[in-house]
Amino acid sequence: MSAEVRAGRTSAMLPAAGGMDPAITGLLKTALEKGVVDAVLLPMEVPSGDSFAWILMKDPALAGDARAMAPVMPVQGALALRSLTRKGEGSLRVLALMRPCEVRAARELSKLGQVKTGNLLLATWDCPGAIPMKDYIADPAAAQERFAGMLAAGEPLAGGVKPSCMSCIDFSMTDADLHFCTFGGTGGSVPVLAGSPEGQRFLDSLGLEAGADLVAWEERISEKRDARLAARQTAFRETGGKVAGFQGMLSVFADCIGCRNCRAACPICYCRLCYFDSETAKPDPDAFLDAAAIRGGVSLPANRLLFHIGRMTHMSLSCVSCGQCSDACPVDIPVADVFSFVGHRTREAFEYAAGRNDGLPLPLRTFEKTEPAGIMEQVRDAEPGGHSHD
Amino acid sequence: MSREFAPRITSFLCKWCSYTGADLAGTNRFQYPVSIIPIQVMCSSRVDPVFLIKAFLGGADGVLMGGCHPGDCHYETGNYHARRRFAIVREIFDSLGLESGRLRLAWISASEGPKFAQVAREYTEQIRDMGDNPTRRSLFL
Amino acid sequence: MTSIAMAIEASAAVRELLEWLLSNGRADAVLTPRRSAETGSCDLALITSARDLTDAEPFQPVMTANAGQPLSAASMSGKRLAAVLKPCELRAFTERVKREQGSFDRVLTVSTVCDGVFPLERVAAGELDRLLPGCHESASGGETASGVRETCAACEGFVPMNADISVSRTEGGCLLHLHSARALERLEGFGGDRIEAEPDREVLARMLETRSAAKAELFRSIGGSGGLDGLVDLFGRCVGCHGCSRVCPICYCLACDFESAGLESDLPHFQAILAERGGLRLPPDTILFHLGRLTHMSFSCVGCGMCSDVCPAGIRVAAVFRRTGEGTAALFGYVPGRDVSEPIPVTVFKEEELGDIG
Repeated sequence: MSAEVRAGRTSAMLPAAGGMDPAITGLLKTALEKGVVDAVLLPMEVPSGDSFAWILMKDPALAGDARAMAPVMPVQGALALRSLTRKGEGSLRVLALMRPCEVRAARELSKLGQVKTGNLLLATWDCPGAIPMKDYIADPAAAQERFAGMLAAGEPLAGGVKPSCMSCIDFSMTDADLHFCTFGGTGGSVPVLAGSPEGQRFLDSLGLEAGADLVAWEERISEKRDARLAARQTAFRETGGKVAGFQGMLSVFADCIGCRNCRAACPICYCRLCYFDSETAKPDPDAFLDAAAIRGGVSLPANRLLFHIGRMTHMSLSCVSCGQCSDACPVDIPVADVFSFVGHRTREAFEYAAGRNDGLPLPLRTFEKTEPAGIMEQVRDAEPGGHSHD
Repeated sequence: MSREFAPRITSFLCKWCSYTGADLAGTNRFQYPVSIIPIQVMCSSRVDPVFLIKAFLGGADGVLMGGCHPGDCHYETGNYHARRRFAIVREIFDSLGLESGRLRLAWISASEGPKFAQVAREYTEQIRDMGDNPTRRSLFL
Repeated sequence: MTSIAMAIEASAAVRELLEWLLSNGRADAVLTPRRSAETGSCDLALITSARDLTDAEPFQPVMTANAGQPLSAASMSGKRLAAVLKPCELRAFTERVKREQGSFDRVLTVSTVCDGVFPLERVAAGELDRLLPGCHESASGGETASGVRETCAACEGFVPMNADISVSRTEGGCLLHLHSARALERLEGFGGDRIEAEPDREVLARMLETRSAAKAELFRSIGGSGGLDGLVDLFGRCVGCHGCSRVCPICYCLACDFESAGLESDLPHFQAILAERGGLRLPPDTILFHLGRLTHMSFSCVGCGMCSDVCPAGIRVAAVFRRTGEGTAALFGYVPGRDVSEPIPVTVFKEEELGDIG
């Protein structure tokens, strides 16, 4: 990480005597005033005071009223970017400040042609996690306090954030156009990294003091990442145990009512008409009744496990473990845990990392004559009589 | 409300009656305010009630739907359906305390140039008194 | 009315009936709520064999889906079905049949006076076993169980409309009331002697009083004179997942208008709004969706409350839709689910009506 930072990424210091959040929104307000960008996308508290919404703002005054780092993530930022740019980014130069997982999702959507990044500056911050939406709504004031504490501590509080956040190792993503090193905000200033020439131009045009001492920050990030990595190993082990075998999956998804909230909250699932809700996938009533006879009854709505495993097949390679699916589930199924666990394994097999600005195609859109070892092994295992199982 | 406020009234006018009536007002020089922004539709039943809502939320100070008199619809029954749909949207607005006065349906025939001008003038005054639509300033819609 | 007296509790009695219907070839399949012995989860099950009914809980106070929805596809199969439906589910199914999404042919409907269902959140949290005893107690006294969905507590439609069979509780068990020729025919040979019996009207009257008062309070509490600000307060937290629409039994469109390319905004549109307002919410059209959905289906809203239950932001969708829906239905003297031959208000018109419009 240090090498990357030293190689080509420039940094600046943002004065933040009055607090990091106002410093960042203040910077973006200035950017609007100076015409460095035409609009910024930031969270703003909703009038009822118990949630946040993404607001695309042209008026600098609005940027002053917005929040840089919302404690809660009601809408995955990539969904906002999708709605803005899907039909083309046009001439509006926009800076979007989001959590790393939101930018990573936007990168995947970019590969899917659903987000156009041509006129988009993507900015991230070191994220300590997000408060679960229901918890935030129940007591916004307490949740704000918890979040402020976590931001200062540079880490999530167990039970205080979405479970996915505990295991997130991408919380400090530095390949965005801009990255605010909020875990390094000390002594009244915040380091800002430029991850691209566009990001650099942005910093230059705002006249920030160049150069930042990042050593302490890097160390802190490294330490926090180790902790999250350990948490992730534990989470994967636990989840792997829970879903093992058919009974495992049945048990984890037993309460599913087929509402599709998980899919709707997912930034990657962009299909207007999901295959699993289409006429093609509709069960034939006769086949249905036959199945009922054989299995001792069929649960309705039908094919819920097919939906989940099918959705996994379609998108888990691009899963950025943002945890929105679990947050949206009305019956508290740990969807994100399962999808993250499975996604991790399949990505490893394809040697693919989701959310990178790497120009690499999505694994299912390409092929190699000789695939990575993990894939070749899977295929060999599946060949009848071809491979012995010891 | 300030006299500078220039109401914008998105108007869906059916081709056979109300739009032609509006044209007639124009050719005969019956004065009516520029507040009316006419959109021609083949029939008032072409107006998806969601258009009315979209216009309202989009910041139109008034939304006018013009059709043939009941019984005179060029397509026989279109305006009867339009009338029911309008009633539903108005009821929804009333039940939620939204200003249903900003929605207006008028039966104006092709020959009723003066009537069109009168409706346009009266409605514009009404909207002027109501002031501009607060949706114009809302970020959270 | 022609009835059968049973000396066992209502849910058990219906289980026995369903077993009998399957064993005696009077139904190819039955649709009933079920509680899995294995996982403790509740769901709706389509069952073809009597021996598979052991986990059936016909009247359990849980609604994982408004049964009118899954019954639709099954009812178009041409098979003889028997379906256990709560009154709102039967009303919803009726509304769906009007929209050609289901058929009453060969479907025997079984319902009962409904005491309400518990929110899914509580069921998922494992509270059902703790809540059930209190629920049974309240029911026998004609009281609404505490902790049910707020729209259930305020539901005046708790007596089934047009069920083939309705079940009412008695001191020693229950009564199965046979309302239709289909009921008489399909149940021939089942249970004891046919008697003339009525449900306890006094209990029903007491329940109606309680529910009506609760409804008035519900409607008052959800506001309605809040105007634009009030609307933004109510729906400001909406994340646009459209879960409410997906679980709504009336919203049957596979390709919803509000998810279509036709209503999708593009950059010129965004720029126009930015020029005027200085800012706009993304994704756009949050309020449009709700007002639009009210326009499309509010007059058919049966008040089941699935929408509120599924909302990840805890918005009281059902209360708003129920309140506004009562208004839009009343415009035409319409009652959703009352009569399958009563046309949906937007499909018909009267030449003389709504005289104050235009």
